[in-house]
Formats: sequence, structure tokens, C-alpha cells
Amino acid sequence: MTASIRGRLLAWLLGALVVAGLAIGYSAYHRAQEDIDELLDYQLKQLAFSLSHQSVGSAPLPPGLLLPEPDFITQVWDKDGVRMFYSRPNLAIPMRPRPGFSNVEWNNQAWRVYTQLDGFRIIQVAHPLSLRKEMAADLTRRAVTPLAALLPLLALGIWIIVGHALRPLSSISSALRARTPSALEPLPRRDLPEELVPLVGSLNDLLQRLSHALEAQRQFVADAAHELRSPLTAVQLQLQLVKRAGSSEERAAALERLERGVQRSTRLAQQLLTLARQDPQQPEEADAVVDLDRVAREVVADFEPMAQRDNLTLSLDSQGPLRIRGNGDSLRVMLGNLVDNAIRYTDRGGVTVRVHRKGGAVILEVEDTGTGIPADERTRVFDRFYRVPGQKADDEGSGLGLAIVKRVADRHAGRITLDSGAGGSGLRVTVRLPDGNS
Amino acid sequence: MRLLLVEDDAMIGDAVRTGLRQEGFTVDWVRAAEAGDAALKAEAYALLLLDLGLPRKSGLDWLRELRRRGDRIPVLILTARDAVADRVAGLDSGADDYLVKPFDLDELSARARALLRRHAGRAEPLLRHGELTLDPATHEANYKGATINLSAREFALLAALLERPGAILSRAQLEQRLYGWGEEVESNAVEVHIHHLRRKLGAGFIRNVRGLGYTVSKPP
Repeated sequence: MTASIRGRLLAWLLGALVVAGLAIGYSAYHRAQEDIDELLDYQLKQLAFSLSHQSVGSAPLPPGLLLPEPDFITQVWDKDGVRMFYSRPNLAIPMRPRPGFSNVEWNNQAWRVYTQLDGFRIIQVAHPLSLRKEMAADLTRRAVTPLAALLPLLALGIWIIVGHALRPLSSISSALRARTPSALEPLPRRDLPEELVPLVGSLNDLLQRLSHALEAQRQFVADAAHELRSPLTAVQLQLQLVKRAGSSEERAAALERLERGVQRSTRLAQQLLTLARQDPQQPEEADAVVDLDRVAREVVADFEPMAQRDNLTLSLDSQGPLRIRGNGDSLRVMLGNLVDNAIRYTDRGGVTVRVHRKGGAVILEVEDTGTGIPADERTRVFDRFYRVPGQKADDEGSGLGLAIVKRVADRHAGRITLDSGAGGSGLRVTVRLPDGNS
Repeated sequence: MRLLLVEDDAMIGDAVRTGLRQEGFTVDWVRAAEAGDAALKAEAYALLLLDLGLPRKSGLDWLRELRRRGDRIPVLILTARDAVADRVAGLDSGADDYLVKPFDLDELSARARALLRRHAGRAEPLLRHGELTLDPATHEANYKGATINLSAREFALLAALLERPGAILSRAQLEQRLYGWGEEVESNAVEVHIHHLRRKLGAGFIRNVRGLGYTVSKPP
């Protein structure tokens, strides 16, 4: 049997009907047997009684006279046990000495025997028990037959009714089947049977979440395509300037510009990939124990050359191992983006990375002495491709750095705050991560 | 021809400015609508090259503002928005042409020339003045059947004078046409260019009106 609801219902209902029919048959058979027993016992008794009022000689009674049924056997003895009358001389059931009813096994047949003593005669009337069984079976058959005959009709009826009841389900599924992958509007909830309302409700919830996710994805791709145009435009223009260059100095300058354009495109592509990897819809990578102190040391070492090139000091303030649960690669990317930003937007002074534990949280801080972010821009900077207007290094930036930072922080249930650095200038980014150790 | 470029992307702005200068245009470059507004009020520009994705105020909003207050400067939009609806919105907001990034420098300068030509009411791409023909696209000059070589500045100076023959342009006006912001202008630069042009075209082609400036006589 397949998992079809219709098929299952049909099988179970028909099975139940068959069982009920059998139960009815069984009880009808028993009731019939009881009734027949009572009736036929009464008949035996009546027969014996009527015989006792007839004078019977030694001669056999004329056949048929006292025999309402050919199956009845009537025997009469005198008080000495001398046979006076046998209705079926060839069927001589032995005489029962005790009066009343008894069941006798004789001549390979079960018999119901009634014996009556009336002082000078013994009257014994009997008939085979199989007769009763046949009658009971016959009565039962009559009761059950119409039920059995109805069974195919019932099956057909069930099939039709169940199909009808399931029609809303099939109309939902055909409505879903007819959809294109982008058609995610909710299913209509009108005229739904009560049982389907939660299902359609959950489906609609899922559709809505899917549609949001899809819209976000679409927006991201559109944004990304748009953002990719800028560095590509720059590269194309710079390439043309290289071709046009008349002197070797011009050519060298144009080539240098071209190189920066290519670097910018590469960086944007990398950042896009990084962001896609931090996508909250991506399956969560298994968390592990990460030593933030080590992560910070690695990041600071990575960016040391860049800081040196720009004459900035890059320092780390950490009190040794600081373990949390998280994704090491993501955290490294996050801290790297923060340090990278800090160096890009700082002309003079330096960048300090701090890692410490404070009040049940692990604090990761990157502070610089750069241009900072105006207070009213501090929420928008986490938006994808948003750049603070008028920032000097905005062209090299992909507009994705802080969006990536936010994604990673979100995945680690962390909180980010932006404020001015010590002395009111520069920028301090604080990431609070829940302490997995406590 | 002095153009104003409003483009917030440093690399693109720098490359466009460099490329257009090579074509003989004078280019001032600002990175936001507000700065563009200030520049338009301070200088006379022949053409505005406008990026739409500007910080704070969008290029399209600024363009509508310009048109509302009656500014007739030809505007060429440079943008990464390539949907038909965006182009329509750009042109309907008052732009004269629309170029989608990434674009080609040659196409940009050709469109700029076409816009300038149309704005001056000419259909003919060549500038003619008597026996002199100037081709703004190739910077080739032909005088009395002979090709003469002109530097970018010489070409720009001559084109400025030929725009309205008979009109007198002062040295300051010519400098303004030839030099963008931040470009070093030698005190006698215009005189030097005029001197070179006279050598190539003959002393009488450009007349010096003492105390007022320079002019090219109307063709006979």
C-alpha cells in the first residue's frame, strides 16, 4: 500500500467493516444457537410429553404419525427395559437411564436426547446436534450476507467521499506545482478545511521567509554587480591611458594607476567572496575553541608591513590566551578587516588591538588615531557598500569591510559599538563576544 | 573647452580627467554635488559630466535642481545604472546624454564633442573659418590646403577664438578656457600660444586688440 491517505483510509475502513461484520456474524451465530437450543429442547420435551399420552402397543406406530421432523428419533421402552417402539428401527440410541436432557455421542454423531419416565414407560426423543448447527449457520448467513454485499458499495462510497474531502489538499499541491521558483506569494487561505489551516499557514511562513531571503540575495547580486562596475570602469579607463601614453614617464604613471585599479577590483572580489562565505544562510561551520590572543597576534603580524609602509605603529594589548567558542577563520577575517580599515583611514599615529575578558564577555577592540566616523554615520557604515562621504580612502575600500565584521559578530552572538578613540579623535571599534569559557 | 566632472570615485575621476585633458579639454573635477554647484557658480563650463551615485545628494536630484533654476549647461550622465528605466529617468530629468559605466574614453570624448557641437547649434563636426578647417576629433588643422600640427592647448585656444568670430576674448577668459584648477599657468602662457599659432597660420590671422584681448576676424 502506498502512503496515499485515500488508499489508507479505504484499507482501514474496509478492514474495520470486515472485522465488525465478523463480530456481528459471530454473535448472531451464538444468539441463534441459544435460541434454537431453547426452541428445539422445548420441541423435544413436547414430543415426549405428547407420546406419554398415547397408548402405544408393541406394534410400531404408523410411520410419520408422531414425527414432525424426519430427523427426530423416538423410542419407547416399558419399565423393564423392553423395547416397545422405535420410530427408526435402524437407529437405536441406547436408553438413557436418567430423565432429562443429555448430549450423547453415538454412531459417530452427536445427539440431543430427552428422556422421560412416566412410571411404566421410558420415552426417549432425540435428534442430531448437527441439525441445530446447520440452522444457526443458516440464520447467521442470512444476517451477514447483505452486509457483505454492501461492502463493495461502501468501498466505492469511501473512495469518493475521501477523494472529495481531500480535494483542497490536491488543489494546494497543484497550485504549488504550477508555480515558478520566483512566485513566492502566500497561498490563499479562504475556504480551507480546519485541518489544512496550520499546514497552509506554515507553508506561507516558509514562502515568506524564502521570499525575503531571495529578495536579499537578489539585492546583493544587484548591488555587487553595480559595485563591480566602478573598479572595472577605472581599470578600463586606466588601460586606455596606458595605451595612449606618449612618453615613458606617462606610461609608468598610467601603469601604476592601472595596477592600483586591478588591486582594487581584486580586493572587491575577495571581499564579496568573504561576505558570501559569512552568509548567515550558509550552513554553520562547526564551532571550535579559538584562542583570540593567537588570532590577534596573527592578524597584527599580517598587517605589520602595511602599518610600517604608512609609518603607523601597530600594537597588541593582550594578557595571554583567551579562549572562546567560535569559528577561527571568521574571527580572523573580522579582526583583519577592522585592522585594515584602521590603517587605511589613519594618516598619523597608530592602531591598537586589545583583547581582554570583562564581566562575562570577551572584548575585542581596535582603536586608531585616524579620521574617525561621524556619530550620525555610525549605524549606516555596517550597510553593504555604504561608504562615509568624503573619506579619503574610500575608493580603495570595497564598502564591505564593516558589513563582513557585522556578519561575523552576528554569527558569534556578538555586539559591535563604534565610538571615538581616546581623546575624542579617531575610531574605536568594540566587539563584545559572549564568553564561552565562563 | 572647459568641462566640469562630478564623480565621487577617485580612480575613475582621475582617469577621466587625464584622458579628457589629453583630448584637449580643460577639466575640473569635484567629488560631490555640493562642490559641483559651487564650481558652476564660479566658472563658466561648456559641459557637465555627471555621475549619479554621489554621496549625500544624488546626481539626479542635483540635475533636476539645476534645470529647475534654468541652468542650460549640457549634461552628460556617467553612471553604472544601466536599466532602461534609469536611462529614461536620467534623460527626463534634464540630461542630454547618458553613458553607462564601464565606458570607453574615446566614446566619452566623442559624445562630449557631439554635445558641445549640438549646443553651439552646429551639425557639422568640423570647424571652418575661411581657408582654415579644424577637426575637434583628431585635432588636425588644415590651412590653405596644408595640414598643420597644433598642440592641445593651441588647438583649444584657436577653437575658442573660432567659436564666435569677431568677438574679443581677454587673456583671462582664454586662460579660464585653457587651464583647469591646479594647473600651473605661466604668466605669459597665452601670449606664448598665440605666438606659436601666428607662426603657423600667419601673423594676421589672430589680431591683438590692445588692452582688450584677441580676436579672429569674421570670414570674408
